[in-house]
Amino acid sequence: MKRTFLQLLVLAAAAVIPLRAEPVDLLIVATDDAALQPIIEKMAQPQVETRGAWTFWSGTLSGKSVVLTRSEGDPLNAVAATALAVRLHPPRLIVSFGTARAHDLALRAGDVVVSASFAAFDGMYSPHLGLDEGSRPAQWEKLPHLLMTAGEKETAAESFPADSSALTLALALAPVHGRVVRGVLGSANQVNREADRIEWLRAKWHTSTEDGESAHVAGCAALLGVPVIGFRIVDGPVADGATFTLSFVEAWR
Amino acid sequence: MKRAILLFVALAATLRAAEPVDVLVQGAEKLEVRELIAGLGADVQKVTIGPFSFWLGHVGPHRIAVSLTGQALINCTTATIVGIEEFHPGLIVNQGTSGAQAPYLTLNDIIVGRRALDYDNFVTPVAAPGKGSSPFSWTPVAQRLRDPSSGQLVPHPDGFAGDPGALAVAMRTRNPMGRVFAGVIGSAHEVNLELDRVRWSQRTFGMDVEEMESGHVAAVAHAYRIRYIAFRVVSDAPYEGVPFNPNAARTTALFTLNFLENLPPLASPPLPRPVP
Repeated sequence: MKRTFLQLLVLAAAAVIPLRAEPVDLLIVATDDAALQPIIEKMAQPQVETRGAWTFWSGTLSGKSVVLTRSEGDPLNAVAATALAVRLHPPRLIVSFGTARAHDLALRAGDVVVSASFAAFDGMYSPHLGLDEGSRPAQWEKLPHLLMTAGEKETAAESFPADSSALTLALALAPVHGRVVRGVLGSANQVNREADRIEWLRAKWHTSTEDGESAHVAGCAALLGVPVIGFRIVDGPVADGATFTLSFVEAWR
Repeated sequence: MKRAILLFVALAATLRAAEPVDVLVQGAEKLEVRELIAGLGADVQKVTIGPFSFWLGHVGPHRIAVSLTGQALINCTTATIVGIEEFHPGLIVNQGTSGAQAPYLTLNDIIVGRRALDYDNFVTPVAAPGKGSSPFSWTPVAQRLRDPSSGQLVPHPDGFAGDPGALAVAMRTRNPMGRVFAGVIGSAHEVNLELDRVRWSQRTFGMDVEEMESGHVAAVAHAYRIRYIAFRVVSDAPYEGVPFNPNAARTTALFTLNFLENLPPLASPPLPRPVP
């Protein structure tokens, strides 16, 4: 006789597994080599390990144990590197940094946007249109991510939270150039340069900026229950992100 | 914060020497894994890692881990990393429902992935305020992966090829509810019901079906050099006006069980992966 799904669930034994990971204070997720290099240069004799397509640099910064990885600037690599880093070296906090393009017209080049929250704005749903009726992107609806949560339930998340104490600390830091402001860091593997689409994205997702990975790192962090903070320099310069991140690491306890 | 610490410890605890499995079989939704779990036999063991559940058992000669990944890139990529690191599979099968992108497909047909790709990456042209948005003018951007041997980021514009050995077995496997075709599976966090955009995706990427996971899991499998194949049942067909039918998930799960029964033991050396 065929067993029912429920019977099998009852029969299934829950595994008890020992703790063997190597925790660290901080996981820093940088976009690319240009963003990484100033951090690596400050780390004391970093150890390098590569798993699959992803590389991790382990060392210390300002007396804190740190693992650094590279997101490659897109959601897939960012989530894979973050998930793998959390598994290998569970951090107390994840810091994601890099550059971004402004969705909020009040932002200026050189401003540092600190994440009040994150929005992965790549989800969309288009109503039905027939052949030769074209595409009407202004009528698309947003499609929030559904994060897997305990009990095998998916929970819709229009945005992902940032760690409140890290946010407070970052907002009090001195800017490298421009201003330090709070905002919603948006990400998708997109470069949006149509003004009307940017306005549509901002109306739907309340994004301050867009980049390739910050909200996806935050989504992975939310999935795995690790606090996260993000810094984005509007329109560069790239080096400002590393400088601001090093200031944060110095001040963070 | 308490929840965070609990999940943190749960995930950290995964660094243990688990017994490897032959095949990691993934589904995004409960309906997509229900028949698979029922097919694992009486000695099912459930392992929970963070928010992810895995059911261990056997189908035919194979030790199997069935993984409930959740929908879309963030869930499925994280679940795949956890599944690989925990269970070291020799083959990954990602299976579930999809929307038809080609008019020849109908409800309960199955596409076996000759290749799978991520299709929602693009750069738009510059357009001033009031000039609108033109999706057909967006330039696709290929998923890139870093090649550890060269250190270079390599674009994969055609996505990632399905394992030829698994593809051959799948094409000899019976679909109890419909037909079986080899084809192209596209992944994005999108539901596209505009037929002109569906046609554009089909012509631009060669896509037969759209869904939310296969192309992402294929990229991770490629990065680890693990054999990979995807099966997608047609659960909705916009050309025919067929709305989403969640029960189609049962079709692909039954097909996957038939595939696992037909699949020879993986102990022999794996077939070389073609370069996409």
